[in-house]
Amino acid sequence: MWHKIWIILRSEYWRRVRTKAFILTTLLLPFGLILLMAAPGALGYFASQSSQTRIAVVDETGALFDRLQQTSGEPFAFTWTDAPRDSVEAAVRAERFDGYLLLPDSLLDGAGQATYVSRQGGGLTTRAQLDNLIDDAVQSERLARQNTPPDVLAILESNPGLATRQLTEEGATADSSLAYIAVGWVMAFLIYIAVLIYGQYVMQGVIEEKSSRVVEIVVSSVRPFELMMGKVLGIGAMGLTQFAVWGVLVLGGTSMLGSAAALLLDPSMLNLPADASEEAMRQAADFALPSLAPSLFIWFVLFFLGGYLLYASLFAAVGSAVEQQQDAQSLVFPLTLPLIIPIVLLFFLLETPNATLSVVTSMIPFFAPVLMVARVAVTDVPFWQVGGAFLLLVSTFVGTIWASGRIYRVGILMYGKKPGVRELLRWMTY
Amino acid sequence: MARLEVDSVTKRYGNTVAVDTISFDASPGRILGLLGPNGAGKTSTIRMITYITGPDEGTIRYDGRPVGPWSQQRMGYLPEERGLYKKLKVREQLLYLGELKGLARRIAAERADHWLDRFDAADWAGMDTEELSKGMQQKIQFIATLLHDPSLLIFDEPFSGLDPINSELLRDIILELRDEGRTILFASHRMEQVEQLCDDICLMADGDIVLQGALREIKGRFGRNSIILEFEGNDGFLDDLAAEGAVRIETKSRHRARLHLNDGASARRVLQTALDRTDAVYRFERVEPSMNEIFIEVVGEERARKLRANDPVAAPG
Repeated sequence: MWHKIWIILRSEYWRRVRTKAFILTTLLLPFGLILLMAAPGALGYFASQSSQTRIAVVDETGALFDRLQQTSGEPFAFTWTDAPRDSVEAAVRAERFDGYLLLPDSLLDGAGQATYVSRQGGGLTTRAQLDNLIDDAVQSERLARQNTPPDVLAILESNPGLATRQLTEEGATADSSLAYIAVGWVMAFLIYIAVLIYGQYVMQGVIEEKSSRVVEIVVSSVRPFELMMGKVLGIGAMGLTQFAVWGVLVLGGTSMLGSAAALLLDPSMLNLPADASEEAMRQAADFALPSLAPSLFIWFVLFFLGGYLLYASLFAAVGSAVEQQQDAQSLVFPLTLPLIIPIVLLFFLLETPNATLSVVTSMIPFFAPVLMVARVAVTDVPFWQVGGAFLLLVSTFVGTIWASGRIYRVGILMYGKKPGVRELLRWMTY
Repeated sequence: MARLEVDSVTKRYGNTVAVDTISFDASPGRILGLLGPNGAGKTSTIRMITYITGPDEGTIRYDGRPVGPWSQQRMGYLPEERGLYKKLKVREQLLYLGELKGLARRIAAERADHWLDRFDAADWAGMDTEELSKGMQQKIQFIATLLHDPSLLIFDEPFSGLDPINSELLRDIILELRDEGRTILFASHRMEQVEQLCDDICLMADGDIVLQGALREIKGRFGRNSIILEFEGNDGFLDDLAAEGAVRIETKSRHRARLHLNDGASARRVLQTALDRTDAVYRFERVEPSMNEIFIEVVGEERARKLRANDPVAAPG
């Protein structure tokens, strides 16, 4: 039996791995992902760089404009004006200004509000930055009027930040719980996406074989179960190849890209004050690439394979029941649901990896590939839990492969009417 | 070379009985025609012989042993609904299908090249299968069926979609395979092809075998009780003969009729009547019934019998 499965595995593997589409996605996807992740930050960065927001300031206090002028960085160009309101508005409409800022006298008494009027309503970034600038200006003006001594000012301006440390078995306290959360998140997502996409590949392959009718020739040479397993394992091997290439690319690229990514990160993610220097951020980001235990990678691969085998065989069963991709939708939904649930739970689990809900859901075989790996990444999971979850996963995929094989062997020879889930289950008894 | 024995085999799908306790044998060096209208159970039977599915009752033996993965290696199957991997190159496709039949890669390659040559298809070896025309693909499928030198061959409607020249080539090769002593199963409902090729037939209807035996013997059994008559003049005598129960008119045109001579009726009297009542008789010949007539007659009788059995009230007579 294994010899036949091996022949099928090899053929399924090669005919996919050598295609241009495979080579291109394997090599380019990591770069694409990095671009995609960096894009919002980069866009914001370039947007604020390239065009200053021109703001006319109607300053009734007579004191705040200078302070704004001093503290503001590149994003804003303030222009003082005492023109009447309607002519300022006319200037904004005429696009000589992007907006105007109204600073009422009462601001310095601790009452009242500044108002920003713009053509576009002001984006989130503009709003937050402007808000900070005005707060700072009002605060320092009021402090100055109270003749606050300079050492008190220094105290007010100090911003110590917060560093977090994790206490592990070894007693070492390398901090990187945030980085671990990021790692856990990325790994969980990779498994989710990989299982979903490779599962769909399996389904598509089964549908192609069935609709081209080559399947009847093949199953007169090998058992349907061998054909299904050969396909599942061949596509799995393709997935592992893809992961291996990505692993090498990521490891190789981390040194260069790590610091580049730091430029685009929000400083608060790294526990740094908002005005942290680029240098400090880069340092923090580099520091945040923690040393990951090899066991994490081993569990990652094991749970990926387990999850893949669990779902891929089910995708094969669904594919065997239909003649074209579109007909599969209603049958695919019950399969994707148990894959989506762990993604919904993921954030909760990463925050509280040892809560009862987190422990229990990460043991459920259909969720374990995503959730257990995430837990292993962020916390010390007792071995009985990881090992137990893996054993449960293995026994479950042995079961689903058996069940899928029963459905598959009937489905591939059934043409005509599109079956429902109940009919699929009945085929198991044929 | 070995015998194929189908022994009291039944196959059900849910509540439907696709094949109902059938038995037949196929011998080496002969071609067995598996005939029957659509839905008769031919494909279900073939799938059990090829060990794609298993019977619910009964056994299928090849070379004295129940069929299984071992026999799949020794049989070649060309299904009626057939296809190939669209994205694979022709040669690669043949190697793969050959390897699945247990051939070593090197031997599969040699055989593939031999057969591609034989079918004038060597130039296609490097082409993607989806670039080929339907007829070309069919040749490749035929090669895939033969690649592992099987001793049992099963062809389901092998000629559909082939032009006359390629049909001829295919027919020659099938006869050649028979003469080499292989056991061949040929499923079709094209009766003229059955008559040309088959040594034995097995006629199925509604999951049952309604007629089986050697083709010659069966045609003999139906006797030379068909009459072809060509004449000039009034054809009223035909209706009179039919009315008195001597003949049944199978086909009738202006100057030609094909008659079935009923049991006990005298052919001589039919000829005498024709000579008396027409201006001239050009042809009077007693012939064997065509396979087509046998097919229609037997299947029709079987249907009528079932109808009577199932619904006695509505049954005529």
